[in-house]
Amino acid sequence: MVEHPHRIQLEGFGRGELQARENRAIVRHLLTGCARCRKVTANSLPVSFLGAADAAGFASGRLGTALELESLDYSSAFAAVRRELGKRQLALETEREAAPALLRELAARPFDRQWMLVTSDPRFRTWVFCDLLLDASREWGFQDPARALELAELGAAVACLLSHEVYGAARVGDISARAWATLANAERIRSDFRAAERGFARAERLLKTGTGDPLEKAGVMLLKASLRGSQRRFAEAFRLLDRVVGIARRCGDLHLCGKALIAKGFLSGIAGQAEEAIRLLGEGIDFIDVESEPRLLVAARHNLILYLSESGRQPEALALLEQTRPLYSRLGDQMNLIRLRWVEGKIAAALGQWATAEALLNRVREDLVEQELGYDVALLSLDLASLYARQGRGAEMRRLAEEMIPIFQSRDVHREAMAALIVFQKAAEMERVTLGLVEELSDFLRKCRETPGLRFRDSL
Amino acid sequence: MPTLDHPELRESLNKLLKNARPRLERVLRHFEVPPEDAEDILQDAQLTLLYKWDKIRSPESWLIGTVKKKCIMYWRKRRGSLCDAVDTAILDLISVPQAPNQERTELSCDLNRVLARLSLRCRSLLKLRYGLGYGPNEVAEQMGYQASSIRKVTNRCLAALTRQLLAVGFQREPQDG
Repeated sequence: MVEHPHRIQLEGFGRGELQARENRAIVRHLLTGCARCRKVTANSLPVSFLGAADAAGFASGRLGTALELESLDYSSAFAAVRRELGKRQLALETEREAAPALLRELAARPFDRQWMLVTSDPRFRTWVFCDLLLDASREWGFQDPARALELAELGAAVACLLSHEVYGAARVGDISARAWATLANAERIRSDFRAAERGFARAERLLKTGTGDPLEKAGVMLLKASLRGSQRRFAEAFRLLDRVVGIARRCGDLHLCGKALIAKGFLSGIAGQAEEAIRLLGEGIDFIDVESEPRLLVAARHNLILYLSESGRQPEALALLEQTRPLYSRLGDQMNLIRLRWVEGKIAAALGQWATAEALLNRVREDLVEQELGYDVALLSLDLASLYARQGRGAEMRRLAEEMIPIFQSRDVHREAMAALIVFQKAAEMERVTLGLVEELSDFLRKCRETPGLRFRDSL
Repeated sequence: MPTLDHPELRESLNKLLKNARPRLERVLRHFEVPPEDAEDILQDAQLTLLYKWDKIRSPESWLIGTVKKKCIMYWRKRRGSLCDAVDTAILDLISVPQAPNQERTELSCDLNRVLARLSLRCRSLLKLRYGLGYGPNEVAEQMGYQASSIRKVTNRCLAALTRQLLAVGFQREPQDG
């Protein structure tokens, strides 16, 4: 007579709760083809567990009916989770209260001391503080790239030290990935693309140890797309951004969707696809939550104004500029106001209002020299040169060229860009500057800023 | 995204969890997650939501999506461990050195009967594994697979074998091609 394993054993086998010896006995029995025991085991698993083909085979005798599913009672699971969540909420509130003061305490010290503090003092090893450092790094981004880098380094250090026991290993994996992606992005802003690559590789490895949260993955991809854009690897950047848009739509995160579309718009513009840039920026702006990121809105609209103007759509550019002007002022930071005057000067030049354009651009040039922004001075000077070339003002062009070189020699303009500017100066001396040469140089300088090492004419 | 004050945060989160509960229960029922295992899934998803509250713009749909994904992962893990248990048990059974001849013959016969209902590819792979005692690299070489992909192929075949082992009234696995 055949001995059948007990129902409890068969169910335990289905749940993976048995010892190897018991598993062996059950598998041996099931191999004989015992329909009864197969059915009991299969009934301890959901229909989807075995796949549709098998489900049809045993569904008729299956216990998992709709009625039985309704009887699955999750009350105690919800109650237990609520208790645990309550405890964690309290702990998190304490962290939230402490974090801003910790950041102030840190900010008052030099960086090496800050580093020592966050790595040695347990008060700094909290989720909220780490999050705060990363947000602050993102905020500083382009305004003070060195500070942004330091904050991201501190954030990555804190993330590495967060307790797996308190926060959960997978969640620590998530925030560590975010920290390394933020750090990589800060490296990218400083044009250290190798360090940025290493940072993103580490962020991607950390993501694999995380919770699998698609939004976390999308955040890393969004920043990595910016690196690919800076490296002029546009196809890769666009692929990453399309994936971010897909994730954002699936998760119902319209703001993230807007950010990805705006990023794609920026990069399309840099890639020379002005019409595509205009379309994407317009689409992206409609999705973003203005209250949470007003800077993003201003940046997106600023670029949209620029591309509209460069595409010859001056009335649209002007209308959008008037609409955006209060936002530039509301943000109030110096760089945004300089950018506003610059784009106003460009539009005035495009409309043939030479005197207005010259006055605006000259004022912007003074501001940029004062801020020691070498590349921007170079680009602005070329906008002025273009204005002079159109009016055939050779003397002003020569003066401009003479003034340019000494400024750049003491600024952040690298060798290749300097060589291109010398070409411009020589052409100005010989009164051979054409509008074409000015445009070619402007384009080169823009590419040069993102791709150090590029040579003039090689870029064409 | 503006960070909520503490009482506001607590209230918003609790309200969300209360509102989402019927949908979460439906998800758990749909995936037939045993109540004793549902706690881990719910706790993990809700704690992650708590920590990332400032970063998640559509918390309810995020929570439902995350719980769904965790349910899928839960069964994937369960399926993986069941397949591993079946594989280990068969390898143990066929490697018993002192088993009487009749037992060995019966085991071989039963195993072959189950394998016969698998696709040609899985049958060949599992015969090499159980019949000739080949390791993964040898199987890959023999069947012309990359060493890097043999684990995935083997896992698929083990899943097919496990399904077959639990199927009532033998089902034929789809054939290759």
